[in-house]
Amino acid sequence: MFRTMTYNRQKNIIIFTFLLIPVALLLLFTYYPAAKLVFFSFTDWDGYSPEKPWVGLDNYKEVFSNPDIFGVFTHNFAYFVMGLIQNVVAIYFAVVLNGRLRGRNGFRLLLFLPYIMNGVAVAFMFGYVFDTTQGSLNLFLNSIGLTKLGETSWLGTAGLVNYSLASTGLWRFMGYNMVIYIASLQAIPKDIYEASKIDGANAWQTFWRITLPNMKPVIQLNLFLTVTGALEVFDLPFVLTKGGPAGASQTYVQRVVDTAFAFNNYGLASAMSIILLFFVIAVVGLQQFVLSRGGNNK
Amino acid sequence: MKKGILLTFLMVFSLSAILAGCGGNNGNSKSGNSGNTGKSNTNQSAGENSGANSGEGTAEKLSGKVTFLTNRTDMIGKEYDEYVKRFNEKYPDIKIEFEASQTDYNQQIKVRMASGELPDLMFIPDIPNSDLPKYFASLDDLQFSSELTFKDFKSYDGKLYGITTGNSTSGIVYNKKAFADAGITEVPKTWDDFLAACEKLKQNGVIPLSSNFKDKWPLGSWVYDMPRIIENNKDFPNERINMEAPFSMDNGYGKAMMLLKTLNDKGYLEKDINSTNWEQSKKDIANGKMAMYFLGNWVINQVIGVGAESDNIGFFPLPFDNSGSNRAPFNPDFFYAVNKDSKNLEATKAFLTWMIEESGYEDFAGFISPLKGRESKLSQLAEFQATGVEMQEGVADDPKVIEISNKAQIDLPAIAQEFVLAKDPQAVLDKWNKAWAKAKKELGY
Repeated sequence: MFRTMTYNRQKNIIIFTFLLIPVALLLLFTYYPAAKLVFFSFTDWDGYSPEKPWVGLDNYKEVFSNPDIFGVFTHNFAYFVMGLIQNVVAIYFAVVLNGRLRGRNGFRLLLFLPYIMNGVAVAFMFGYVFDTTQGSLNLFLNSIGLTKLGETSWLGTAGLVNYSLASTGLWRFMGYNMVIYIASLQAIPKDIYEASKIDGANAWQTFWRITLPNMKPVIQLNLFLTVTGALEVFDLPFVLTKGGPAGASQTYVQRVVDTAFAFNNYGLASAMSIILLFFVIAVVGLQQFVLSRGGNNK
Repeated sequence: MKKGILLTFLMVFSLSAILAGCGGNNGNSKSGNSGNTGKSNTNQSAGENSGANSGEGTAEKLSGKVTFLTNRTDMIGKEYDEYVKRFNEKYPDIKIEFEASQTDYNQQIKVRMASGELPDLMFIPDIPNSDLPKYFASLDDLQFSSELTFKDFKSYDGKLYGITTGNSTSGIVYNKKAFADAGITEVPKTWDDFLAACEKLKQNGVIPLSSNFKDKWPLGSWVYDMPRIIENNKDFPNERINMEAPFSMDNGYGKAMMLLKTLNDKGYLEKDINSTNWEQSKKDIANGKMAMYFLGNWVINQVIGVGAESDNIGFFPLPFDNSGSNRAPFNPDFFYAVNKDSKNLEATKAFLTWMIEESGYEDFAGFISPLKGRESKLSQLAEFQATGVEMQEGVADDPKVIEISNKAQIDLPAIAQEFVLAKDPQAVLDKWNKAWAKAKKELGY
């Protein structure tokens, strides 16, 4: 039957049939729930009853009339700071491990492994690290003589807890960023480096003038992941501190989850999610705008 | 700007995942049953009692399959198998199938309510009693050898929809050897005695009371039970419906939280209350590094489970003031309920009756029998009763009070945490009073 069709038609049929299943899955598991989320945000749904009373924009009004809700974003700042450090460290390791180095694959693997581990397991593990009286971190500090520092309550001090948690994120996601950076480093043509060597450029100049500019799109991508990650962090404080001490480590997403699952207000929680969505779009848009001003738009 | 659109989709995906798929993500959630009258944690269980009553005469003819969604995943393949074996001796044609709940039982049942996929037998999640007839069958026709406890708790319009799986009280669970080593010869009868005992334990290098402050849920007894016990008024939590400022220093809430704060200020709790470890604390109570818990009696079996000698663990009511009055709360645990659309309604009811009467579940789980007048086989509970304590039955939460609490996002254990950590506890109470008054006004109650 294909003989009667034109080549273009055959091509379209093949493309269509190949795409049918993935697109159907995408629509079913991504866009359908997302559309539902938007719908719930206009209702007063309690999470289980068949009735979903329509309340219009009330949920959105409530979120914006409660300054408390946005206050928790200040806690996310620590994750953002740690995310920046994470990217710098990742670039450093990427450059080092991209050079000639004995056993570099082993090092890459070691640095990447934390990313593969389950987030909740990681959080549990760090619960033992950060424990005040029996945690390995404080035992270590005590053993090297820093007894004063060895009594720190890493997860119980309001100003410190978010940085402690975010450092766990750094440990976990640094390897992932590094792998992306290594991939982009390997895509930079070797002849550029050879040409610069002939011109007498030193290592720092090579890095600053050739490596970094060539990595710019990838750095943008990683920063995007960092920013969204910082805004959406949930599992670490949920497992380790439950938002404590006294709410000092509560994050926005955790608050959304509490609103939905502890206080049975799915409507309000959905509205909060949608607001976070727009917030992330705004922040990322701003970031794109600032970063792409410098050079030619690639 | 194609990239921008792509990014947007990417974010829609990740965000919808937050709400849509989150329930199953929380591998460890200990505080799942938040609405279930406090102090429940997922490890907890319900009661049994072996006993009389061999069911109705026609019972042997019942057949069918009964599915039971349970949070006691640890009992599947072990105790439950043994129950089914004994049950089948009586009802050979009824097949029992256990479904293991993933992590958050309460949440899972609600999802299945929304999708109309309920099992035959289950526990009631935290929904208002007025919704009970929508999902569950009336259980008034069941016959038991003695009267049920907490009959009104999950009833609506005079019909019974839920039967308690077992009952509990809360009090001080302690390591007797740690007490003896510190020179404490008898259990404290007043708050001052209690503080003196704590001081002796502390001097002896033992942590007097393990609060598990960080985990929040272990504070439940302080805020769900103590206020009404201190007020000597079982309706006190519900009477908040008439109050503009339910949290004050001189009512049950402020006093109860002040007890906890006093213990912390005097250094009688863990060294760093923001860094506590629940699993470790059980071992520490068992080996005497920590002396006391203030929790429900369900914890006794757990402490014995990690290696404590049963003879070494005691249980007495918390003396909350210096008057010598001796009161303790009496609370139901999860409630069994039967799916009203069950295909095997009678078989399910037969199994439920058997679970209450004969399974022996409550002794296994460390609970007081759901049937009135049955004595516990646990020595600790007998010891507790022997102090002559007055057991104050709890009442079902007023749905309006729950509604206000949810609207104001009031989570009592979290308020207790804030209170204990705050330099100015009054400010914490003021803040939540304000939230309460605002929510109450908006709801028009």
